[in-house]
Amino acid sequence: MPRSSTERNPLHAGYYADSANQARVPIVENVRLARDTYRMRFECPEIAKRIVPGQFLMVRLAGLNDPLLGRPLALYDTVCDSVGKPIGIDIVYLTVGKMTRRLAQCVAGDELDVWGPLGNGFPAIATDHLIMVAGGIGQTPFLALGQEYLGRRVYGATSRSVQSAHKVTLCYGIRSAGFLAGVADFKKAGIDVRLSSDDGSIGHPGFVTEVLRQVLAETSSENRAVVCCGPEPMMHAVAALCKRENTRCYVSLETPMACGIGICFSCVTRVRQPDGSWDYKRTCVEGPIFDAHKIEW
Amino acid sequence: MDLSVQLGRLRLPNPILVASGTFGYAREMAGLVDLGRLGGIVPKTITQEPRTGNPPWRTVETAAGMLNSIGLDNDGIEAFVAHHLPYLASLGVPIIVSIAGRTQEEFVRMTGRLAGLTGIAALELNISCPNVSGGVDFGTDAGSCERLVAGCRSATATPIIAKLTPNVTSIAAIAKGAEAGGADAISLINTCLGMAIDWRKRRPLLGNVLGGLSGPAIKPIALRAVYQVAQAVKTPLVGIGGISTIDDVMEFFVAGASAVQLGTVNFYNPKASMEVLEALPGALAEAGVKCTADVVGTLLSNR
Ligand SMILES: Cc1cc2nc3c(=O)[nH]c(=O)nc-3n(C[C@H](O)[C@H](O)[C@H](O)COP(=O)(O)OP(=O)(O)OC[C@H]3O[C@@H](n4cnc5c(N)ncnc54)[C@H](O)[C@@H]3O)c2cc1C
Ligand SMILES: Cc1cc2nc3c(=O)[nH]c(=O)nc-3n(C[C@H](O)[C@H](O)[C@H](O)COP(=O)(O)O)c2cc1C
Ligand code: FES
Repeated sequence: MPRSSTERNPLHAGYYADSANQARVPIVENVRLARDTYRMRFECPEIAKRIVPGQFLMVRLAGLNDPLLGRPLALYDTVCDSVGKPIGIDIVYLTVGKMTRRLAQCVAGDELDVWGPLGNGFPAIATDHLIMVAGGIGQTPFLALGQEYLGRRVYGATSRSVQSAHKVTLCYGIRSAGFLAGVADFKKAGIDVRLSSDDGSIGHPGFVTEVLRQVLAETSSENRAVVCCGPEPMMHAVAALCKRENTRCYVSLETPMACGIGICFSCVTRVRQPDGSWDYKRTCVEGPIFDAHKIEW
Repeated sequence: MDLSVQLGRLRLPNPILVASGTFGYAREMAGLVDLGRLGGIVPKTITQEPRTGNPPWRTVETAAGMLNSIGLDNDGIEAFVAHHLPYLASLGVPIIVSIAGRTQEEFVRMTGRLAGLTGIAALELNISCPNVSGGVDFGTDAGSCERLVAGCRSATATPIIAKLTPNVTSIAAIAKGAEAGGADAISLINTCLGMAIDWRKRRPLLGNVLGGLSGPAIKPIALRAVYQVAQAVKTPLVGIGGISTIDDVMEFFVAGASAVQLGTVNFYNPKASMEVLEALPGALAEAGVKCTADVVGTLLSNR
């Protein structure tokens, strides 16, 4: 886990970019995984050796003024050399706008400006059944997390130790079968994958929350925990279900960001305070992972 | 090469500063920037009372720039003094505290509160924020600008900088007011008022409808403002607006700025201030000068 800042200053955020590295890096490959969905690999040993699941990077097309700002993208997985040293990063992205559409046109050798690792990353949750709930491209933080909890991979400079879960399930909801990405990676890691689709073209026809309800009903574990990433209404629904089921739930927010490092105050989200009121918190330095029950949806 | 600069009563080790609202409270940047090397840090503007700020969206990217309507989200002057200032003061860098009041009295009261506190090198009066409604706009009237600067000057021995908005008919006229009021330096520019629209939804994109444009897109406007004000006043100027490279910095010096602040570039190239600082001695040497001051305002006439 990234350390929280040492000073106990009530106005200082928990997860500044203290171990972040900024570099201009070459793209190694950029491959299409599914409809509008690509996996990009780039070399960046300094970031790869430090990053943990749930953390993100800011990625910018080098040398361009439009798009001007970096975009936050989650760690999908680290890439290791032949002796197991992390040297590269894989991200998986959906083309939705100005920057990601350009990103899809990049080829090996093109350069990116990247800075990271950023954000808090997932906490080390003591659980024997980790249930990961993804809406669409919200699946990206979960390959690394699942691998870590099943003891397949370690991440981070201090090789943080998470207590292994006996079982990791991914509930993965998509619009339509064509968007399905990375399922082979998840299955190879030993993750139990349950699908749903809006149009019924694959898996359970309907919402991923219905799949989650089923998984929660099946699991015998008292000690289960849910992590979730996807569109906000879906995360809200998952949080509400977990609350009813008395289950711990962490969400990874996809708040738009301009800097990713806490200096612009644009990525705010409403977080409940101990006194019951809410305050705007910067998602990039207080999150992106939050206890779902503390978000003022 | 002597990089130090003198802005009225304020001496800075070098002319590369970072702009208010684009560098957090500096603590955020400690891992990416060697803070001790900066010529000065202007933390995010503080107000008397805490402010929640505006609802999202607070920023929108535009061509070579961005709009923001953060709305002076801050925890108020007392929280700043108690929790941010001790850290800032420990950095060994000139700290220029940016303040915004709703009235002349509030500005003067805040100035008095900060007077004599350890670790404050100067105050920057933010009389130019486009995101706060209500209150007199000191940045658009030369007379109230003069009275405000004079009032704050008499409340403290700390050097005073006035930060101006470009959203006026004649920025030189406002600058003259700041000079008459006794400003040690004038910072320019704050953001240019703008907006962005989603025509399909027929809605403004910013939560606050209007916001301030910053980044490379506004550099020509900022250069023009520095050039015009340099003709009108003798007070040293601090150039701000779209600066991202050493060439940008040198252009502002030649136009008449004695120092510069880097803003939006910190968002998309967190190391920019260090890159510019490293390139500065070489650029001054190329200009054939021995110190920054010798290149300031050296623009030649085309005729
Ligand atoms: C921590 C984190 C991790 C992420 N990880 C991934 C990932 O692994 N893979 C992935 O594909 N995506 C991920 N995202 C989302 C990704 O950052 C965005 O999809 C990306 O920034 C889109 O950039 P663009 O230029 O292509 O789209 P844009 O042109 O910026 O627009 C994309 C959409 O966002 C809307 N939008 C733009 N600006 C704002 C704003 N200020 N406020 C609200 N909405 C706005 C637009 O209307 C449009 O619908 C992550 C986001 C966060 C915060
Ligand atoms: C997100 C954001 C927040 C800002 N907040 C402040 C502020 O609190 N006080 C202030 O004086 N200027 C503020 N500014 C203006 C900058 O300090 C600067 O004057 C302006 O952005 C132009 O410089 P740039 O183009 O290099 O960013 C802000 C700018 C941005 C982009
Ligand atoms: S994205 Fe700038 S403060 Fe979070």
